[in-house]
Amino acid sequence: MREQVVMVGDDRPLVGVFCEPRAGELADPRTAVILLNSGVIHRVGSCRLTVTLARAISERSGLSTFRFDFSGIGDSEPRRGTLTADLAAVEEVQEVMNYLSNWKQFDRFILYGLCSGAFAAYRTALEDPRVVATAQLDGYCYMTTKSYLIHYIRRLRSPARWLKFVLRKLGLLEQKRGADLSGIDERYFEVPDFASYPPKAEVAEGLEKLNQRNLQMLYVFMGNEHYRYPEQFSDCFSSVRFGDNLKVIHRPQASHILSEPHDRHTVVDAIVDWVRTTSRALPST
Amino acid sequence: MEAFFFGPSQSYLLGVYHPRKTGHLDEGIVLCNPFGQEYLRAHKSIRRLAINLSELGYPVLRFDYRGTGDSAGDLSDVTADEWVEDIGHAIQELRDMAGVSRVALVGLRLGAILAARAAIESNDISRLILWDPITDGEGYLEEIKTAVANAQKLGSRSKILTPDGTIHFNGFSMSKAFQNSLEAFSLGELAQDIALPIAQFVSHETDEFAKIQRQLDHRKMFYSELAPAPHDWNYVDHVGGILWPKPVIDAIERHFSATTQYEMTHYA
Repeated sequence: MREQVVMVGDDRPLVGVFCEPRAGELADPRTAVILLNSGVIHRVGSCRLTVTLARAISERSGLSTFRFDFSGIGDSEPRRGTLTADLAAVEEVQEVMNYLSNWKQFDRFILYGLCSGAFAAYRTALEDPRVVATAQLDGYCYMTTKSYLIHYIRRLRSPARWLKFVLRKLGLLEQKRGADLSGIDERYFEVPDFASYPPKAEVAEGLEKLNQRNLQMLYVFMGNEHYRYPEQFSDCFSSVRFGDNLKVIHRPQASHILSEPHDRHTVVDAIVDWVRTTSRALPST
Repeated sequence: MEAFFFGPSQSYLLGVYHPRKTGHLDEGIVLCNPFGQEYLRAHKSIRRLAINLSELGYPVLRFDYRGTGDSAGDLSDVTADEWVEDIGHAIQELRDMAGVSRVALVGLRLGAILAARAAIESNDISRLILWDPITDGEGYLEEIKTAVANAQKLGSRSKILTPDGTIHFNGFSMSKAFQNSLEAFSLGELAQDIALPIAQFVSHETDEFAKIQRQLDHRKMFYSELAPAPHDWNYVDHVGGILWPKPVIDAIERHFSATTQYEMTHYA
């Protein structure tokens, strides 16, 4: 594995690290994996997950990888423009794909992202046919009837939840959010803006398009209040007739930022295996 | 700004160089990161400090220690002594790039005590700036172990792994070898051997900071400032919120501004 720092763009470049397999171990010269930021954490990723994954893919799947910072995050300067952050992210991923195409002649890309990075991977795939696969960690998904039942039954069975409910109704306990929860003055605490979660029907329509294009999709869901059982994604988007192009993994014990080493290793292994299998199945010409 | 890899090929380091924007000061600045989750949440602050100091006329290098960030290796293979070596590589790299003869070290939390150690091992250091410093390696390890134990009571799966003694804390591991090398570090003892200007910037008051201040207050070349700001670098939420303690960044910038070209007015 060999790494080099790359600056994409002349004015206010996007800063990234290109990581390629050792000479003779490149399995697919046409396909690269691009790893996207999560929230406001720089390209290293939560708990250094992005670096670990990028290197593991290059070493064990034989593909080149590129991890970079969107403008305004990490080492990339903010860029002025009229685009929303969502649209700017798609344009910047496309800019990176153009750069890698010109530089190394890649013409197929696998996008990886966690949370907001997953959302950006999904949106870019919709816009650009060069994207042949996405690996999304805690990507777009919505509650189903079954997940609501699981959610509320657990709450109803919890004496602590009942106590909190009563105290809140009596005005003795405030619902803490954002800066109140962290205890940190919000002037001094930056969190991502997740305001643009699209309607479920819109995502279902998008997934249908991607499915018809035979986009390869890996979804990994960690333990959180909104994803309650392994089949929730399939139930949520039951209108989309996925075939062999969809794989869903549920890790209910894992935290959203994969803070536990065992969870991190398991998820990295699963993604590396999936990337290897997926890339090997792509046409060679 | 220029990002690049430097240092030994087996343990290459990610560096980000901010050339001076004005003047021709013969003093560069190396910024030394804290550990683990603190590093992730300090990245924006360290970057902003680098930009601000470069605009004052100081060439600045910030970098990732081996086993962290974009640098080579992983945390299981490194020791605190090796991170001190990495600071040495960064000092040399900055001297070569900027053509400066002297380098100031600014260290945040664990980076401060490592910078103090590096200041003893190099003849090229102009001054040492401590930002919310870890003052005692052993005490820091106890702090982490206590935090892990308290988190477990709240349902965290973070744990001190046995039998090898590796600590897993907020998504980052610290090997027994790292702990062993860090245990011996004491800022108070290191400071006795540092005959350079030292400044301490703190976001809050603690007994440890006060002890360092009492120890060094008699020195002509010691400056201390309290710049109240958030300091819970290990606060971990599910969306990756990051700290932005602007009052401390501003205070350090003012300090370098006031002491440009070695006027050292603060020390007078």
